[in-house]
Amino acid sequence: MTTTRFPRITLWRIIVAVIFAAGLYATYARFALGFKLATNLTDPQPWGLWVGLGTLCGVGLSAGGFAIAAAVYLLGFERYRPVLRTAVLVSFLGYMSVIVGMMYELGLPWRIWHPIVMWNRHSVLFEVSWCVMLYTTVLALEFSPSLIEKIPWAGFREFYLHWHHKLLIALVLAGTLLSSMHQSFLGALYLITKGKLDPLWYSPYLTTEFYLSAIPAGLAVTIMALYLCVRSLNVRLDLSVLSDVSRVIAPLLALWGLFRAVDLITHDATPYLFMWREETLSFWVEIGLFVLVPVVLLSRDKVRNNPQYLYWTCALVVMGFMANRLNVSITGLQASSGVYYVPKWTEFAATLAVLTAAVMAFRYAVIYLDILPKNPPRQRWMVANTAAEA
Amino acid sequence: METTRAILVDITKCIGCRSCEQACKEVHGFPMETEAKLSVTALTVIEERGDKFVRRMCMHCQDPACASACLVGALKKTAAGPVTYDASKCIGCRYCLVACPFNVPRYEWSKLVPYVKKCDMCAQRQAQGQPPACVEACPTGASIVGNRDEILEEAQRRIVTDSKYVKHIYGSEEAGGTSVFFISDVPFEKLGFVAAPKQPMPVLTANALGDGPTVILLGGALLSGLYWITQRRAEVALAEAQDKERS
Ligand code: SF4
Ligand code: SF4
Ligand code: SF4
Repeated sequence: MTTTRFPRITLWRIIVAVIFAAGLYATYARFALGFKLATNLTDPQPWGLWVGLGTLCGVGLSAGGFAIAAAVYLLGFERYRPVLRTAVLVSFLGYMSVIVGMMYELGLPWRIWHPIVMWNRHSVLFEVSWCVMLYTTVLALEFSPSLIEKIPWAGFREFYLHWHHKLLIALVLAGTLLSSMHQSFLGALYLITKGKLDPLWYSPYLTTEFYLSAIPAGLAVTIMALYLCVRSLNVRLDLSVLSDVSRVIAPLLALWGLFRAVDLITHDATPYLFMWREETLSFWVEIGLFVLVPVVLLSRDKVRNNPQYLYWTCALVVMGFMANRLNVSITGLQASSGVYYVPKWTEFAATLAVLTAAVMAFRYAVIYLDILPKNPPRQRWMVANTAAEA
Repeated sequence: METTRAILVDITKCIGCRSCEQACKEVHGFPMETEAKLSVTALTVIEERGDKFVRRMCMHCQDPACASACLVGALKKTAAGPVTYDASKCIGCRYCLVACPFNVPRYEWSKLVPYVKKCDMCAQRQAQGQPPACVEACPTGASIVGNRDEILEEAQRRIVTDSKYVKHIYGSEEAGGTSVFFISDVPFEKLGFVAAPKQPMPVLTANALGDGPTVILLGGALLSGLYWITQRRAEVALAEAQDKERS
């Protein structure tokens, strides 16, 4: 392990440096030159990569936190407890990057606070913005003990952890409701595009479809994050928990596939399923990556019990999920908009830089905080850890 | 409500002189060059379709998608008819562009402080009793303005009495009804009019939003119930374990 570690990290450092340099330029382009030069967005395609990938995928892939928290605290799935903190951390960082991404995406980002005081209860986006604000707060609070337990003042620490423990269930409950609501509301954003969005994606049940797909995708991300922790960081984890988590992914994916099939058939979209056009091709890529291949793979013990196979299967699920969100937000709207939108490189660069920053924050958090049991265990931290969770 | 204003565009009467375009640009202080498509400096344009001239502008929907979409309420349907835009509220999310079934709003992509631009039916002029600049400038009466019900009656009268007209008033049903109407002697789909859904667009999202409170109540109750069961099970398991230990 140690011998291969050094060159890898050096290579990673170069990659990270390149990404940040590109991201820096993209930031300059966006704020000093404007949308026109920083993006390929146009009036017919006003939402592009920053919404499709940054917001829709960012929020969706952060669903692991609420799913695992609900499973542990509300359903009593104690065996998921060791991965709870990781899941919450991934979600928290996911939401933070969505909010940072918003600063690029909004035309007037310094007015991001407007929805707090200017209300339009008829707007789906209004509800989404409130859910994001509230749920990010909930996630920060859920995550806070990991930071607080490092505070040297014992009195304050005990006081905080004591109250946190008392209020935790309320937090988890609020978090579950908030994220369930706004995972679905992200789908509801597209309900108003009736007549514009391709029949392969438009459905009055977009809400349910977004919700059902976010949970397995969020779990897949959690598994990937855990696997990477074990592989590259000084972390001790019984890997069988990964296979435990993965056990629920396949049925959830199959459920989503079934729901989607029934929905397409009942909305007379079947003829579109077998047309020779780009939309249909993208549709099958989405279904293949997100449903067909992972369901087959995950039904096999050999894949579920081999962390590396599992990791790559989860990567497929994540890619399939992204295909779905990009199809709804970009491919499915292309025909009606009449323009062919390909994101500019600066759009990719900005999104990638934000994501990289989140990954680095995750890495440092795992190294310096008690997110996962360390190897070898350090006694003092373990005590604080158990105290916080007891 | 009878003071709600509306515009009727009779495509059979339009001679393509572009006076409306010019007048609109003039009142807004935009550069005067002719543009092919709606833009941030062309809130109405004349598009040539075969030998027809088709005016494009905001439809001023009765229940506008854009206004329902705007999270800060910058876009509003006014009682007088126009759908207006309050730039001081806008955060630049561009959901209004995504939502509009007629693809009307435009965004100032090249500006560093970009706003949304669309026709506001000359709301200010109308409030002072003046007609919209474009209507005032029209030399043939192809665009006229009036109270919405009278304008609809007039459109109805024309398509019924003259057989050359297509028997449909574009805007009477589209998106649940608008405040800008078109009548034509050529089928609308041939002139590039979109087949917009017939119901008011906000209805599409209202149900999902209406579910919100129900979801919170039912979901909250359900989750609390699950939590209670989980707690109970843990307690029972604990008690059983203790029993076993004792025996
Ligand atoms: S046509 Fe579009 S921009 Fe105009 S009022 Fe209707 S929804 Fe709004
Ligand atoms: S871009 Fe401005 S006007 Fe349009 S929906 Fe967003 S906040 Fe409202
Ligand atoms: S009503 Fe006013 S803003 Fe709208 S197209 Fe006519 S002149 Fe322009």
